[in-house]
Amino acid sequence: MLRFLASRLASSLLAAALSSLVVFALMRAVPGDIVAQMLGQSGDAAAASALRGFFGLDRPIHVQFAEWVGQVLQGDLGRSWYQGKRVSLLVAEAFLVTLEVALATLLLATLVGVPLGVLAGIMEGSRVDAAIQVFNLAGLSAPVFWVGLMLLVGASSILGWSPPFAYMPPSVDLADNIAILVLPVLSLAVLQAAAYSHFVRDCMTAELRREYVRAAIAKGLSPARVHFRHVLRNILIPLVTFMGLILIQILGGTVVIESLFSLPGLGRLILSGIQGRDYPVVQGALLFVVAIAIVVNLVVDLLYGLIDPRLRP
Amino acid sequence: MNARIAGWAGRLAGAAIAAMLATTALAQDAMLYGKSDPAAKSGGKLMVGSLTEPPALDPYHQGADARIRVTVLAYQGLFYEDASGQAVPLLAESYAMSADGLSYTFKLRRGVKFHTGQVMTAADVKYSYDYLRDSKNGSPGAGDLSTVDSIEAPDDHTVVFRLSRKNGLLPITLTHRYGGVIPKDYFATPDARTRLNEVSVGTGPFKLRQFRQNSVLVFEKFKDYWQAGLPHVDEVTFAFMPNSAAMVVAAQNRRIDLGIFTRPQDAEQLARVPGVRLVRTPSMNQKAIDLGSEHPALKDVRVRQAIALAVDKDAVMKASIAGYGQVIGTMVAGMQDRWGLPLAEVPNQKPDLDRARRLLAEAGHPNGLEIELTTIIGYDWMDAGAVTIADQLQRIGIKVNIRKIELGVWVRNFQSRQMGFTFNDWPSSPDPSLLFYRHFRAQPLGADFRNWNNARASELLDRGREESDYATRRGIYNEFQKIMAEEVPTIMMFSADLLTVERDRVRNHQQHPTGWYFGLVKAWLAE
Amino acid sequence: MSAGTIAARLSGATPVQVLSCVLFAAFAVLIVVPELVAPQSPLAVDPGRALQPPSAAHWFGTDDVGRDLFARVIHATRITLGLVAGALLASAILGGGLGLVAGYAGGTLDLVAARVVDVILTFPPIIAGVVITGILGPGATNLVLALAIVYLPMFFRIARSGALAESRRTYVEAARALGFGEASIMLRQVAPNVLPLVLLQYVVLFPLALQIEAALGFLGLGVAPPTPDWGAILEQGKNFILVAWWISLWPGLFLLASAFAVMVLGRMLQQRLGSG
Repeated sequence: MLRFLASRLASSLLAAALSSLVVFALMRAVPGDIVAQMLGQSGDAAAASALRGFFGLDRPIHVQFAEWVGQVLQGDLGRSWYQGKRVSLLVAEAFLVTLEVALATLLLATLVGVPLGVLAGIMEGSRVDAAIQVFNLAGLSAPVFWVGLMLLVGASSILGWSPPFAYMPPSVDLADNIAILVLPVLSLAVLQAAAYSHFVRDCMTAELRREYVRAAIAKGLSPARVHFRHVLRNILIPLVTFMGLILIQILGGTVVIESLFSLPGLGRLILSGIQGRDYPVVQGALLFVVAIAIVVNLVVDLLYGLIDPRLRP
Repeated sequence: MNARIAGWAGRLAGAAIAAMLATTALAQDAMLYGKSDPAAKSGGKLMVGSLTEPPALDPYHQGADARIRVTVLAYQGLFYEDASGQAVPLLAESYAMSADGLSYTFKLRRGVKFHTGQVMTAADVKYSYDYLRDSKNGSPGAGDLSTVDSIEAPDDHTVVFRLSRKNGLLPITLTHRYGGVIPKDYFATPDARTRLNEVSVGTGPFKLRQFRQNSVLVFEKFKDYWQAGLPHVDEVTFAFMPNSAAMVVAAQNRRIDLGIFTRPQDAEQLARVPGVRLVRTPSMNQKAIDLGSEHPALKDVRVRQAIALAVDKDAVMKASIAGYGQVIGTMVAGMQDRWGLPLAEVPNQKPDLDRARRLLAEAGHPNGLEIELTTIIGYDWMDAGAVTIADQLQRIGIKVNIRKIELGVWVRNFQSRQMGFTFNDWPSSPDPSLLFYRHFRAQPLGADFRNWNNARASELLDRGREESDYATRRGIYNEFQKIMAEEVPTIMMFSADLLTVERDRVRNHQQHPTGWYFGLVKAWLAE
Repeated sequence: MSAGTIAARLSGATPVQVLSCVLFAAFAVLIVVPELVAPQSPLAVDPGRALQPPSAAHWFGTDDVGRDLFARVIHATRITLGLVAGALLASAILGGGLGLVAGYAGGTLDLVAARVVDVILTFPPIIAGVVITGILGPGATNLVLALAIVYLPMFFRIARSGALAESRRTYVEAARALGFGEASIMLRQVAPNVLPLVLLQYVVLFPLALQIEAALGFLGLGVAPPTPDWGAILEQGKNFILVAWWISLWPGLFLLASAFAVMVLGRMLQQRLGSG
């Protein structure tokens, strides 16, 4: 196990380093750098070369990369070229927003999706099961941002309500914070709840067919007791690993929702960084995202390895 | 008449002139930032919705229009660009030009304080403009001041600019677009540039409180601002909206007090909402199509003329901004009266498909041709416009392929003079020389981004830049506009009106045609 | 009992599955002959008739430059579904092929390929899509490229683990003993057993890829105008969400329907082939 962990860690670090290199090179290969954007239609050649020197863009690319890696290894992700703020600070602030959305969604989706899935599994074949299945499939098929758009229309025209647009952290103004998160979280939760419900239903139906269930019920244990004490426990680990996978998707996939609802999260930070060619921000933020993905992937792989030895890489 | 009477007469005359100058100065001062409202009340917090976010708040190194709009609240130049595009003394109290036109002497206002607390002197002004014009500092404004040889500060309240060549435009280049007066040696500290995003160091009516990217920008009233009684509101917050739907919703639910729509027709959704009003202002911007002569097909003037004759500007305007604007000839709508060639005299303005087809055939394309039209991500009006133009050009046999690219890429193409056939959204410029010189004057003196290389046009532009007399300049630029319309290096289509949505409680907000937020200085809140 | 339930019971399929088949057939028609269903042009601009609600003349209403939305959404079926299908196919061929070789051959090739694929996996799908299209620029080709790259790891992994499992089976050893070359064994014996896994993965990933394509289109990183595409129409519609919500309604419904149909198909396949 320890060897497995060590080797996974090593290959993960390598992957992280390689992806940083790829991002670094790609961003610089693309036309239109920050200097072009800062000067716009008014620049002249002298100003352009002066600015390029200021940002260190006139040095060879491997020198720039070495310098950046050196900085990162010392824990410094550099500073945003536009804002001047430390990238680590920008990323932390943005991540907190995205995390808040992700956790709220996780909570809501679990509270709705897991019970639905359990219910569908227990009542397999009934009308309730069919209805839940339709909900699952529809929820999984509907584009998240489309759900968000429709909710926005509905809230505005039917309830005459719209969310505030300036994000407030919960510590500053809880009411505003909840108001701005309601619609995005609902939109994301529909998809997530459907995913959980779908997964849990599958697990439940599989488990319920197992011998031990029938044996326990034959022995006289109440079905409810069997369901809750035994079956649920057995599907817990697969469920948690599944949630881990979905969490990565959510963390990465909030880009569109953030764009629609004006949330200053990680996705928007990366998107605006790419469009503004703010290299330090893009590199730092992507490195962070990659790091998180690696950690979650590692944990999920570990858990998978625990359940099913065949799946050990 | 004896000497005593002459002396009295002289003194009276002197006093009268002084009084007149003072009144003019006072009258001019009263018009700075728009008309004052005697009923104005102080206080309140104003919330502005903005569809564009300034990438940074550095007026020296950032060229974006989105930045200029907001930094005009914190930084001031020697002059103020008023609504008609004229330079009115701002931090300069008065000025005089030497007879040979090669030196300008500015007398500075007294008692002006920076946000840092220090008092402004001539040394600060000299530092600010020296920094701006030195291209080693990388400012986009350096080019505009290339005719300045040196700047002197003979005493604390006088600044002298010495020019290498006559430049009638000097005052208008000393306004708000780039730079502004900041304390001496400000940029000597290493983090100075980025600190501007946290602390402002200008002389303007508002000072920076907070700037959170993708979120809000907050300005607060500068208590020691040199114009008494201004600004009226205590605080201005710019909230950045991701799209116009969000802004419409915010306006509807009264979460913002003010907002400018980049696409005027988006504001239509608010037409019937109680408690808000829509204000339409002609603007100084212009939407155009550029035709770069480095492009193989566009090299031939007949092809360019054919395209001009196929474009129906009214239809394009209707499709892209629902008609909320003015079709133009060769001059921005806000400057048409003062500088524009009368529309009737501008050639190649009305569609003439037969002539267009003939020109194409003469140029060697009897069966039409295929060409790529570039649009920019984030400029929504271009999408509708492109589709309409493609439709119109198809009627003369030109097949248009639309290519959407990022702003950064477009700017790079622009700067390397590889524009091709593209849409363009020009930033405002109040003077025809500032509007045309760099863009159309042949190299090496101009940038000639469209590779037009027209000798006569270049000659006219050179003369127009040096000349100070309005009537003479008008004649020069009329002739230039005729040539531009004949040879079609660009097709100026229309100026989109600025559509501002205002809540009832906002009073005396005068929308400046540049779209910059000057109007917030004299606006006040009724409750 | 309704006719639908009877038909379903007779064929042994659930109502959901029947619905899925009907949708499939409908989409097939829309892809092959959209002109039959929507004879109007999806490109004809008519500013005078912009932003009109659904009516007899325009079943889905019109968009902000007066184009008929029904025609646009119908014609977009081919564009959107074609893009996703093509991108995933490329991904399946590349990723699956690479995975097959890596899993079968093992050794350094496997090590290197797995590392390359790991790099791609470190990026969450939509971020990878945003990075690639944001850097290379919007447009159909870059979109296909982005999608193909994003899903390559999934195909790689499934093909690799399949090949790995197969390569240990006795029939492979037997083939070797009989003197067949490695390449021949890989292609003739192992590949056909890996193919169903790849196929299943294709069907399972299709709805996900569809969502990503729509999301990228919504962010403005999709196909260039005036080509109709469901994500692009949603992007245009978001600016008029309050006055013309229908622009945003229809493309979303079609996306939902197509993802739904493919998802049900995926489940059916999964059940046939045992658990995935």
